[in-house]
Amino acid sequence: MSWTKKRNRLSTEMWRNRWLYVLLIPGILFFAIFKYVPMAGLKIAFMDYNQYNPTASEWVGMEQFVKLFSKRSFFPVLRNTIVISLLKLIIGFPIPVILALMMNEMRNLKFKKISQTLLYLPHFISWVILSGIIMNLLDPDNGLITKFIEALTGETVMVLTSKKWFVPMLIVTDIYKGMGWGTILYFAAMSGIDPQLYEAAQIDGAGRWKQALHITLPSIVPTIVVAFIMNCGNILNAGFDQIFMLYSSHVYEVADIIDTYVYRMGIINNDYSFSTAAGMFKSVVALILVLLVNHIAKRTGNNGLF
Amino acid sequence: MSKVKRKGIRRSKGEQIFTVFNYAFFTVLCLIMLYPFWHVVMMSFSSVEATAKGGIFLWPKGFNLDTYEKVFRDPSIWTGYLTTIMVTIAGTVLGTLFTATTAYPLSKKRLPFGKLMSLLVLFTMLFSGGMIPGYLLMKDLRMIDNRWSLVLPGLISAYNVIIMKSNFQAIPDSLEESAKLDGANDVIIFWKIIMPLSKATIATIALFTAVGYWNDYFSSVLYINSKDKWALQAVLRYMLTNTNQAMQSAGVTVTAVSNVTAATIKAASIIVATVPILCVYPFVQKYFVKGVMIGGVKG
Repeated sequence: MSWTKKRNRLSTEMWRNRWLYVLLIPGILFFAIFKYVPMAGLKIAFMDYNQYNPTASEWVGMEQFVKLFSKRSFFPVLRNTIVISLLKLIIGFPIPVILALMMNEMRNLKFKKISQTLLYLPHFISWVILSGIIMNLLDPDNGLITKFIEALTGETVMVLTSKKWFVPMLIVTDIYKGMGWGTILYFAAMSGIDPQLYEAAQIDGAGRWKQALHITLPSIVPTIVVAFIMNCGNILNAGFDQIFMLYSSHVYEVADIIDTYVYRMGIINNDYSFSTAAGMFKSVVALILVLLVNHIAKRTGNNGLF
Repeated sequence: MSKVKRKGIRRSKGEQIFTVFNYAFFTVLCLIMLYPFWHVVMMSFSSVEATAKGGIFLWPKGFNLDTYEKVFRDPSIWTGYLTTIMVTIAGTVLGTLFTATTAYPLSKKRLPFGKLMSLLVLFTMLFSGGMIPGYLLMKDLRMIDNRWSLVLPGLISAYNVIIMKSNFQAIPDSLEESAKLDGANDVIIFWKIIMPLSKATIATIALFTAVGYWNDYFSSVLYINSKDKWALQAVLRYMLTNTNQAMQSAGVTVTAVSNVTAATIKAASIIVATVPILCVYPFVQKYFVKGVMIGGVKG
């Protein structure tokens, strides 16, 4: 087939589907304007952005990135980001798996349903509201948990301004918010298990412990692997909303992460180019990690995300 | 979830102990999930003096409604509610509609450039311009301090497009073909046949979108300068983090006891902002779960 013929066929095919393109107009406009224009806007990371006269901004090449990596303040930020999200991953990841396995053993469906409803709840509550509750419970003067620790140890611990306790608090509250909702993935996987497997196991005399260990758990292993790998790809997201709501200058040293750093450098200090460079560093590394991790997931015989 | 009858089997001692432990464990866990909310409710009903002494545990001390009176007198709570309701409705209606109009054409394999466009949508899940370029875009669009800046940037999410797309792909082509024979075009087919068949998925996506808009505070922080246009969550954040100014706007003079007054007012504000979610949540919870199940199958 000649090239013109091919082109003609393409244009007839496009004409035949013209109404589908009409439907696509709002979507194309949205993704172009609100997703791809900001991506093109990353060019200011290679400029010295002049906020009073943007067209007069000069190209400076990699200067902002050089500045970023020569700045003393950036390395603690990078370290905090990785430490906080690794701790959240290592401590927080197994909990939904265990909860889902335990819940799966419940035979009282009403009790199970109510537990699920309550456990999912914090997922739908914003970090603004949760942080309000956390600040209330940890208030140095009359917070319930503060009083409790006081009664227990005789010490007044100011968790929210303590370099020692701030990060553990982040991890505990993150688990509180996410552990229930995290079980859903595993319930979805369990719902696909063939009931005949359990019946066969019973005939062979397997108790419930054995059934959970040899049927339920192996059936959700692929889901666990994929979820874990995907979480690893997300390692640079240490939880902006949570930290942004709860941190203060007392704990910058341990709690300042890339996203909060970008916000302060950009929006507060108006250093647009530098802050964009920091954000871009994060986005690029995150992209590489996700692609890598997806590749690994596929190589290990699991379904990747895409 | 498929249930297997296991009653016929005699349970071992260990299994019985586990069952008791399991129910006890989840009872305690559920109480832990609920208690922080309960505590804040109790605090909001307690008197300032009792709160100062501490020890509010299960019930309010010095029960009164003064705090709520103060909170409701604060205009910023009302303007916050107004903005949040407007933004949530506009964002949910437009967002859900445009998610569907984007997903439907992309679900058709015959569409030239469809695959390329799907990839471009997917890519936005993996990479973004980030905070500052997004902010500068809103500035260039002259949308700073305009409530549309709270609606538009989050209108369509790539993830929802993918869920919707796999939903549309599950609808048999024969329906579309017979409508085509009757002379209907793709827009009519989409609106009259495909959308009514996809009600469950649409409901799920609408709910997730609504929660996203309801909980959004950061767009207000970034894009809105006038506090009377802030969304509720941003108003609440301001009250929680800038105690003194916020208390003055609630008509509380800043004195020695104001620290404690602040605590009860914060508690009441938290409750005022949370109650709508708590009221709706039990009834719509199952749709959220369904949504994850659909998303989980196809990913």
